[in-house]
Amino acid sequence: MFNNGYNNNSRNGLNSMSSTSSSTTTTTQTTSSSSSSSAATTNSQTQSLIKAYFKTPEGRYKLHSEKTRPPNLLPYSYAKSISQVTVAQLKDKPSQPALTPSFSTTGVRSAAARLLGGNGGKALSFVGGSGYSKTSNGSSRSSHFGGSNGTHYTNSSSHGGKGFFLVFNVGDTVYISDLNSPDKDPIKSLHFSNSNPVCHAFDSEAKDGHDLLIGLSSGDIYSVSLRQQLQDSGKKLVGAQHYNKEGSVSSSRCTSIVWVPKGNGVFVAAHADGNLYVYEKSKDSAAESSFPVIKDHTQFSVSHSRSSKSNPISRWHICQGSVNSIAYSPDGTYLATVGRDGYLRVFDYSKEQLIFGGKSYYGALLCCAWSPDEKYILTGGEEDLVTVWSMEDRKVVAWGEGHNSWVSGVAFDSYWSPPSSDDTEENIVYRFGSVGQDTKLLLWDLPMDEIVVPLRRSSLGGSPTFSTGSQSSHWDSTCPVGTLQPAPSMRDVPKLSPLVAHCVHSEPLSGLVFTEEAILTASWEGHVKIWKRPGEPESKSNSESLVGASSKDQPLMGKGYTESLKSKPLAESKSNNSKTLLGASSKDQQSLTSKGGVFNFKEMSKSTRLGYLP
Amino acid sequence: MGAAGSKLEKALGDQFPEGERYFGLENFGNTCYCNSVLQALYFCVPFREQLLEYYSSNKSTGDAEENLLTCLADLFTQISSQKKKTGVIAPKRFVQRLKKQNELFRSYMHQDAHEFLNFLLNELVDILEKEAQAAKSDQETSPPEKMVNGPKNAQANGSHKDPLVTWVHKNFQGILTNETRCLRCETVTARDETFFDLSLDIEQNSSITSCLKNFSSTETLNAEDKFFCDKCCSLQEAQKRMKIKKPPHILVIHLKRFKYIEQLGRYKKLSYRVVFPLELKLSNTVEDAESEYSLFAVVVHVGSGPNHGHYVSLVKSHNHWLFFDDENVEMIDESAVQTFFGSAQEYSSNTDHGYILFYESLGTSNKS
Repeated sequence: MFNNGYNNNSRNGLNSMSSTSSSTTTTTQTTSSSSSSSAATTNSQTQSLIKAYFKTPEGRYKLHSEKTRPPNLLPYSYAKSISQVTVAQLKDKPSQPALTPSFSTTGVRSAAARLLGGNGGKALSFVGGSGYSKTSNGSSRSSHFGGSNGTHYTNSSSHGGKGFFLVFNVGDTVYISDLNSPDKDPIKSLHFSNSNPVCHAFDSEAKDGHDLLIGLSSGDIYSVSLRQQLQDSGKKLVGAQHYNKEGSVSSSRCTSIVWVPKGNGVFVAAHADGNLYVYEKSKDSAAESSFPVIKDHTQFSVSHSRSSKSNPISRWHICQGSVNSIAYSPDGTYLATVGRDGYLRVFDYSKEQLIFGGKSYYGALLCCAWSPDEKYILTGGEEDLVTVWSMEDRKVVAWGEGHNSWVSGVAFDSYWSPPSSDDTEENIVYRFGSVGQDTKLLLWDLPMDEIVVPLRRSSLGGSPTFSTGSQSSHWDSTCPVGTLQPAPSMRDVPKLSPLVAHCVHSEPLSGLVFTEEAILTASWEGHVKIWKRPGEPESKSNSESLVGASSKDQPLMGKGYTESLKSKPLAESKSNNSKTLLGASSKDQQSLTSKGGVFNFKEMSKSTRLGYLP
Repeated sequence: MGAAGSKLEKALGDQFPEGERYFGLENFGNTCYCNSVLQALYFCVPFREQLLEYYSSNKSTGDAEENLLTCLADLFTQISSQKKKTGVIAPKRFVQRLKKQNELFRSYMHQDAHEFLNFLLNELVDILEKEAQAAKSDQETSPPEKMVNGPKNAQANGSHKDPLVTWVHKNFQGILTNETRCLRCETVTARDETFFDLSLDIEQNSSITSCLKNFSSTETLNAEDKFFCDKCCSLQEAQKRMKIKKPPHILVIHLKRFKYIEQLGRYKKLSYRVVFPLELKLSNTVEDAESEYSLFAVVVHVGSGPNHGHYVSLVKSHNHWLFFDDENVEMIDESAVQTFFGSAQEYSSNTDHGYILFYESLGTSNKS
């Protein structure tokens, strides 16, 4: 009597082999765009590819370049921890004698040039408008990033100066890549022998040299100067300050680490035991503070160090279970935390007081981010939702439905501005993005007049239970200060649908970063893709129609989310990217051809292994 | 094994829950499918308590003949009445009984934990129903007690066997409603079905939430698969949708990791990464139930194919997570549960995949 009618055997049918399996085995060799996706699209009957672009109302975002770990890493070394990415900007600092010791840039260049056989000047500068590319001197830039075995890393001479860098952790190593270089491989690796680096943060406004923070799974924390690391040729941290040595203050995993904005070297580390520790980088890291035992693990409490000289200077006990992510509001007034218990908590940082908190629909919350104006907070979690919280109302104002798995990264796009059409000033639109373990990047618009009136619902879930009519008390009032709110009911929260849903990697994603020129997406295993923003509208160039042609062969992704695009003319990108475009399109073709062959072979070999149960 | 037990006791220390027993189960050769499910059921506390209660209250009525219910109750009693807190028990009688009764089951290729769970729960219900029937006919030949609430048409045509709500039903049974809307006359036909578990199709890099959504997504019946509309008296195109009318107290979710591949003529294991949260709400319900569920057990299939492999289980007991692998019992961290989600890439070295999930409802607020 059970399991007869509702096994749904007939529903999805038996997907053909080609739709249920993927051919992704050699990701150590290739990057995900050319090694195909494992296609999580519903009922897709065809193997889906990861497209090298996606469309938005303002135009196409195109895959500009990729950064990844060295190709020869063994899976066990990168599967141990989740890769996170930080964008670091080193500003021009002409005189920093302490940081540029006896290490001559010419020496590096010649070393690099020797290894390269003389074409050290081919670096392609792409990130226009950053100031960096304009001042770069082609002949002084090296694009050599280690030999084929990936063990040698030389640093490019220009990195002693300025520019944008990517910091990402894979396994027991932190890699640094030059964001402006087209090369995939990192320019620097920092190896940790005892524990895995799991989180990091960068402060481009740091007063003295130490601008990069690295948190480890052992709980240990380091602060270093990024510039100094780039100028050193070794694989170890140089000139590092070491905090929470061997986990002497907290031996639980460091889950998130942030600089306090305008905090003069104060930073906060979140740990898996539910605590935050506040450090001052200028203070002695050798003498470590001790804190009283936490009496009630369910209660928020702050303890200050008795000694004014030692680190950490205070401990905030937030919740039971892990604090998964923390974020300061842009001016440093507020601190948001999310954790295993499913609560977002917003604190007044200087007063050390809870302003408000609220529960996820269900499950843990994994990530959080502030709007540039500090009015809204995004969270993502294990209920597959992106939640928009209002600081003013101190509650949930919208749920973004569109991910098919847990939401691992959220961010507002602070560079995006609403189309300058006849929009009235009242209707401020926010753009934000989210990435998930469903391998997708989703972009969302948050139009403020629609937040008041819940409208948009996905046609797929067309269920009468989600009817928008009944408004309960959830909307009648703001929530009182200093309280934790329970999860709202599904029908009480307006739903947002994504503007774009794009499969960007073949594996779960860990985070995203908006920069002025691009969106960066990072996957768990240390692949970073840089999606260049649409340029000014322009007539199609030859190269673009070429891509258009090749992309027609690709199956559509994203379950028709693109249909929800507003019918605005799609802006096309200008600029010098014909090279990139050609590269992308040839990659696609390559993956198409290679897939056919490899794929069939694998299925054959798999079939021979299969047998019946004993 | 004794050493392993004491290790677990040491690990728990004075946090060892009062009155709780953590015993491994001996493997009699390929009986891990059985052991893993038995552990999950044992730590399904309402089920265990009601089984033991039923057993103790019916024991006095003389020696009932041995069946799977008595064997299961014996086994659970044996575990719970151990003097030691940890150790190993041989579920010999239960397995023997299962094998005796199980020829039909064994004649298929499955030594599948889900099949076993299904078989066991059905068997328990059958036994309870038979006993109730016998008790009734002993007393008088009055019509058996009707079901208080629940499906009217689920088994309406079997008039001789009116559904009885046993404690097994109370724990595991939910009701699905299958709504079919004829696209010609727009008539909606709703048919209710009971279930003990939900079998979900899975996709790579998805979540249980997403699989549940797909389970309840609208499907169009057309072409060769048209719907016979009673009103139109003909085959018509229709839209079908499955929703949960009454969520069960214990929600058992079976991930369809073993997929029949037509071209191969055999089953293949899908190692997909399917994340399952420790707390869950059902959104595909008819009414806004929104009662929260908490994960308390996971039966894990270990191995790359359907034909070989191993079963283990993860169990949450008194806020500690335990790992049961036949004789061995270990304490694990809650965060270790996520190592059983599956592989984000195919052909991964990780072959331990969550296969059956057991969630218990936390609230009773929206019970009908």
